[in-house]
Amino acid sequence: MDFLRHNLLTILIFLPMVGALVLLGLRTRDQVRWTAVGVTAATFLLSLLLFATYDWGQKGPYAYVQHDASGNAIHNSGVVQMVQQASWIPAFNIQYKVGIDGLSFPLVMLSTFICFLSCIASWNIQKMTKGYMALFLFLETGILGVFLSLDFFLFYVFFEVSLLPMYFLIGIWGGPRKEYAAIKFFLYTLVGSIGLLIVLIGTYLYSRGFNGDPNGTFDLVTLASPQFQAHLGTKIALASAVAKTFFVLLMIGFLIKVPAVPVHTWLPDAHVEAPTPISMILAAILLKMGGYGIFRIAYPLYPEAGKHLWLVFAVIGVVSIIYGALCAMAQTDFKKLVAYSSVSHMGFVTLGAAMMTPAAVNGALFMMIAHGITSAMMFFIVGVIYERAHHRELSRFGGLATTMPVYTGFSTVGCFANLGLPGLCGFIGEVMVLIGAFQAARPDSILMQQSQGGAYPWIITLAVISCFGVILTAGYMLWTIQRVFFGPEKPEYMGFAEVDQREVAILTPLTVMAIALGVLPWLMFFVFTQQTVSALFRILGVNV
Amino acid sequence: MSTLAIGLPFIPGWDQLHPFIADLCLIGTIVAILLTPFFTRMANVACAVVALVGVGISLLALLVFGGGSTGLFFRGLLVADQFAVLWKVMLLVFVAGVIFMWFTTSMSTMHEGDGPEFFTLLIGATLGMSLMASTSNLLMLVIAVEMSSLPSYVLAGFRKTHRVGAEASLKYVLFGAVTSAMMIYGVSMLYGLYGTLHAGEVAKAMQAAGAGGSVLLIVAMLGLIIGIGFKISAVPFHFWCPDVFEGAGVDVAMFLSVASKGGALALLLRVLMEIASGLGYRNVPGVSLTALCVTIGVLGAITATVGNTAAFVQTNIKRLLAYSSIAHAGYMLCALSLLVQHNNQLATASGPVQLVGSAQAILLYLAVYLFMNLGAFTVAGLIWRVTGSEDINDYAALGRRAPLLAASMAIFMFSFVGLPPLAGFVAKLNLMVVLARNGGWWWALVVVIGINTIFSLYYYLRVVKVMYLSESDREDVAANPLGVGLAMASALMLVILFIGWGPLNRLATNYGRMYLSSQSAATGATAMAESR
Repeated sequence: MDFLRHNLLTILIFLPMVGALVLLGLRTRDQVRWTAVGVTAATFLLSLLLFATYDWGQKGPYAYVQHDASGNAIHNSGVVQMVQQASWIPAFNIQYKVGIDGLSFPLVMLSTFICFLSCIASWNIQKMTKGYMALFLFLETGILGVFLSLDFFLFYVFFEVSLLPMYFLIGIWGGPRKEYAAIKFFLYTLVGSIGLLIVLIGTYLYSRGFNGDPNGTFDLVTLASPQFQAHLGTKIALASAVAKTFFVLLMIGFLIKVPAVPVHTWLPDAHVEAPTPISMILAAILLKMGGYGIFRIAYPLYPEAGKHLWLVFAVIGVVSIIYGALCAMAQTDFKKLVAYSSVSHMGFVTLGAAMMTPAAVNGALFMMIAHGITSAMMFFIVGVIYERAHHRELSRFGGLATTMPVYTGFSTVGCFANLGLPGLCGFIGEVMVLIGAFQAARPDSILMQQSQGGAYPWIITLAVISCFGVILTAGYMLWTIQRVFFGPEKPEYMGFAEVDQREVAILTPLTVMAIALGVLPWLMFFVFTQQTVSALFRILGVNV
Repeated sequence: MSTLAIGLPFIPGWDQLHPFIADLCLIGTIVAILLTPFFTRMANVACAVVALVGVGISLLALLVFGGGSTGLFFRGLLVADQFAVLWKVMLLVFVAGVIFMWFTTSMSTMHEGDGPEFFTLLIGATLGMSLMASTSNLLMLVIAVEMSSLPSYVLAGFRKTHRVGAEASLKYVLFGAVTSAMMIYGVSMLYGLYGTLHAGEVAKAMQAAGAGGSVLLIVAMLGLIIGIGFKISAVPFHFWCPDVFEGAGVDVAMFLSVASKGGALALLLRVLMEIASGLGYRNVPGVSLTALCVTIGVLGAITATVGNTAAFVQTNIKRLLAYSSIAHAGYMLCALSLLVQHNNQLATASGPVQLVGSAQAILLYLAVYLFMNLGAFTVAGLIWRVTGSEDINDYAALGRRAPLLAASMAIFMFSFVGLPPLAGFVAKLNLMVVLARNGGWWWALVVVIGINTIFSLYYYLRVVKVMYLSESDREDVAANPLGVGLAMASALMLVILFIGWGPLNRLATNYGRMYLSSQSAATGATAMAESR
């Protein structure tokens, strides 16, 4: 048990990869499928152990990590816990360092959960099952690595590692335009990654001399501290053009992944072509890597630049919300509609980050989890009907409620959760972000202090506009329900089989989570999230 | 020390010989290869074995006796230092890989009796490339470059019945002759200006005499850069590269892609560093070190960009790899532009042996680049051996037809792009960090390399796309298992070097120390100047 406690995070990251290697040696298709499901299930169960090993009783004032008098970080003393580290490349001070805090905890849980479910959803993959499952597990390692690494270099490595299997999974197992979609996804993400790489090098070079260490550091916990900001201030002005450039490069890298308008165009293509389980992972987890990066790296490393450039990213967030919703409304393809609704929902995350109030940030974090649940559910729902009808044209559907009542029940819950009906998970996130956005107009908020009150009309305008996103979302979701499930029965869909046990097994946990997070939102607002948000705001220069 | 002075007959002792033991062993190997046909009927295989054993012995001798000495030898004609040792080790490992690969691809198609010529030329060129890294004497520089070039011209056209090969060889010779002439012209001008053939002495003379005729100096330096730039295939002297790679056998193309470029980069680095340290890492009146930095940096940036953009339209795998090698040479050229700040900071006060940032970056890059090229060309050769095609479109569905080869090739392509978790990423990142350390305009080079990485993704990924995403009903490729093993070992090496970046970095840092003859005197002169 003690062994497990110390190595749990490392085991979590590399267990799927080991599983992938084992899988390559297997012969029959059934062996491969069962092993893959077994590995993802084991990873999920192991991640549940995190609840037991995490220390909940942190006392404030919160910081990512506490420093002793001489400025050295004290191990496992802040909100970042279960840290495991080892020196990797001493010449560059690169470490293998993993740890978990309120920011990564829910996302890790979400990842193992969704990976497990979408692995079951992959049951019917016919073509090269072994290659598919191996890449799938490899992808899970990349994802968990991103959420758990606390070293910038390690983060970057996992960020890229998660890219390669995705390219193949879309490119080989995708739909008719898979090649185009796969390379578009790859190119877009790589453009963002190069920006990240430049910031990685720059931050490393600026961190030389911090704590008297002539070498720089990639340690995200060390870098995300007020002490480092003070050090950075001696090298460049904290709101100088350099800092702003770095911040913008980071944001571009992450916003491509989120994705935000105008760099979202890879998403509809990738989703439409990807097989259902991969769409689930893409929407539920991969997009969150962008949001996670914003909160883990962009704002903690260059907070001053973030304060100065808040308007740019708030506008991007609002535009994503509205434009994404309008695009979703105009779609005739069911899957594309869900894809655009992702753009719209993730806009709330961008907006929440840019507004920099505790409520908005909490809302954005909640939104990531809620969207992870609902988008996975929606894509699976689309997959179920596509498997039967072999098309996704919204206008050709209708009257499924009578043929497939159980399926319709699940779908309705999914759609309502997606549109943000109170009592379901989508609601909490949206409402928290909107409340937070309005709170930013209060005179003591970071943005108002920063602009000496000048930001007031902007904040109010943006907050009001983003409220309309909620209405638009309700509009297209309700219209979808009506077009697909209600109306007169169509003869060609009469013979459709009801959802089978496997499909119910996937939809049920998702439905349960959608309702549970909706009625008991404190499930998410665990103390540790607040501790982490509080630590984040300390770097932004505010105590909350 | 006057280089051309005629004195007593020079008989080198062991203390003079042992730093160059590898080169001596290579000479012995050439003799052995020439004698081999007298003893056997199967000359091709026998010569290959002799060459492989010879290279192995050279490597062993170098590792046992070669290190430890630093300084000028053979009356200043040759330099021995750690930088040269590591380059020679990499070169010999690579040439051994080339010969190994020859067994798996070209052996069965080579005319019986051609072997002795082929391996004599191969080892002869290797000798030239090995010497390139250990000289800063301008005369020796010309000899080393010619020594590697002349056999290369013949090797390029070695497939005698192959029209494209003949064309490639002729192009190579003509191009080479012109640039050699320019280089010799430049060298003779430097000699005329400063009366010495030592790069270090030239720099000292520059510092003392100042301009001494700026136009002449610029022409001379340009001549030198053009001559070596041709070997590096820097733009605009790169036109030979794709044609030669296409026309030559796959083993020759592979050999030229790493050995020729690496040797020339090592040579240029040494000459530039001698000049920079002789000038005390700063501009002196009439001689602008900044201009030299900018020239090399811009040359590197253009080379990388042209290489990457021209590769977009290639359909022949060897042409694609040729442009890719141009692009990578461009990245490494960027590192050569670090003549000023950073290298100066690294310079220790303890004498003429210096840790040089760009040397470290280049050694690390070459160490990784070597395995990427070794693997990629091996895969190309193996597939050509079975299908007779070098067209990328014929790689369709290779993921099914030859799973191991396709997987290795995909790894090489991703490593070429510079994606983790592969060593290509480490090499590129290290290069970018070394550049960025200088701050200022070197950030522009970092950004150029970054943007080039995005360009390059497209064409490297096209190979992967064809292999995995395209459908084809063609039969499986049954490649030589030894060759497959070589490709997989190279691929594995890229993963190992990524995880083991720490040791690799330590190696490159320890061996990134150059002997710069001009250093001690120059710092002395500066100190004197400051005390006055």
